[in-house]
Amino acid sequence: MGNQLDALVTVFTEFYYWITVPLMFLIHVGFCLYEVSVSRAKNKLHTLMKNAMLIPTVTITFFFFGFWIYFALPQWPFGDIVEGTGALPWDVTMASNFQDHIMGVFWAAFLLFAWTAASIVSGSVIERIRTGAFLILAVLVGSVTWVIDAAWGWSAAGWMVTDLGYHDAYASGVIHGICGGAALGILVHLGPRIGKFAPDGTPRNLNPANPWFAVIGLFVIYTGFWGFYAACNVPILDFTGKGELFTATTIYLTPTTLSTITFNFLLSLAGGLFAGYTMSKGDAYWTFSGGLGGIIAASAGNDLYHPLQAFLIAIVGVVVMYKLHYWVERKFKIDDAVGAVAVHGYAGSFGVIACGFMLWGYPALADGSATINPLGQIIGAIIMFVVLGFIPTYIVAGILKAMGLLRIPREVELAGLDYVEEQGLEAERQEIVNAELVEANR
Amino acid sequence: MSTGVESWGAEAVSKMDAMYPFVGTEVALTVVSVIVWLVWHVWQIKFENNVYDEQVSQVQGNLPKAVSGE
Repeated sequence: MGNQLDALVTVFTEFYYWITVPLMFLIHVGFCLYEVSVSRAKNKLHTLMKNAMLIPTVTITFFFFGFWIYFALPQWPFGDIVEGTGALPWDVTMASNFQDHIMGVFWAAFLLFAWTAASIVSGSVIERIRTGAFLILAVLVGSVTWVIDAAWGWSAAGWMVTDLGYHDAYASGVIHGICGGAALGILVHLGPRIGKFAPDGTPRNLNPANPWFAVIGLFVIYTGFWGFYAACNVPILDFTGKGELFTATTIYLTPTTLSTITFNFLLSLAGGLFAGYTMSKGDAYWTFSGGLGGIIAASAGNDLYHPLQAFLIAIVGVVVMYKLHYWVERKFKIDDAVGAVAVHGYAGSFGVIACGFMLWGYPALADGSATINPLGQIIGAIIMFVVLGFIPTYIVAGILKAMGLLRIPREVELAGLDYVEEQGLEAERQEIVNAELVEANR
Repeated sequence: MSTGVESWGAEAVSKMDAMYPFVGTEVALTVVSVIVWLVWHVWQIKFENNVYDEQVSQVQGNLPKAVSGE
């Protein structure tokens, strides 16, 4: 450490990112809570375990190759694959060492994004996907495709930023757009849950088993989203190279302020809640989902928007996502159990495109070599939702379906995924009761 | 005998790079870990198939009762 200021910057930066990790952990807690609450009683344990086991599978694969992809692929189509990046699993920086104090913290921040990515997909496919199939798809989304889009569009060196002027400060497309597309790609092959559609094709409501806990889960996700926003920033950067320190810059190393993102996070949440409540006529689940969708719709430009712009964009984004959700459900018979394609995919893609018009002409990079523009954002939204979102999971889910590994057997779906466990637990309960009766009759 | 660090003295620490034991085994650790990961997926899929087979055999002929929770 060269001097005391450098030391302070280093210490603060390490601690800053370290704190974002447990905050983002809450996103996963929230996802588990709301996914389990949405599933019916006969499927709860399986739903929980499916989501929980993405943690080890995405974690180990993100260590093997996920983080490396971020550093290796910013240039089209392949960047520093041959030269290496310092993030390979055998590199000394990817372990405990005294010369690099922060690599593991950066890795963890990105890993939590990866969990979120896989978890978004998890909710939409509940109650009929095999856990094994889901975990393969979770690795694909969490440790491969979303990281490619981050390398391309969520890095100052990414070709989408340098060539298209792509801007997505808080990941409307980079996380949410791609994961909505990925979920849709699986749902096409997976099909609806038994009973979701009447014989004439009319959709039925498979209502949340516990709406109260489902919305608490969404509340917890809001909380974790603060950590997500913080982790998207770079704290303390000498922006001009002349000692002018910024306390918050985006991942593109362009300036923002904590004040800006705090205003905009909360105003976009407010707009989303208003719109969700209005569109759903006060339905608790869609109102809270609207809050999340509102934040997602404004996130691409929440580093620069006026708070009331964030508010209004959130309202429009949630109206679009809500209308699209039910239109797609009726038209294509897609059973998205938690509305993830809508809340993340449609709202996120809308947010990316809206940002192109709202921030038209703004520098996409600090040196002004690329500018934000509508065409770049539209192409970017298509790359996120379709090219890296929908297509890869559509192909892999198709292969799994052909191998008979995608969907659970009909009998299991009807009886419930927890049937065997419940029978076992009931037998053990009865054994205890019998033992107690013997004692009571002595 | 030492598997790695032999001193926490100031001079040693200032020059220290890797802190973990058995430096030089990173590639071997990666290979073993990748095998563990892949084998786990195969095991998990087989395990899950067996659970479903068992469940299907349990409810066959008894499906309406299982659906209604009896």
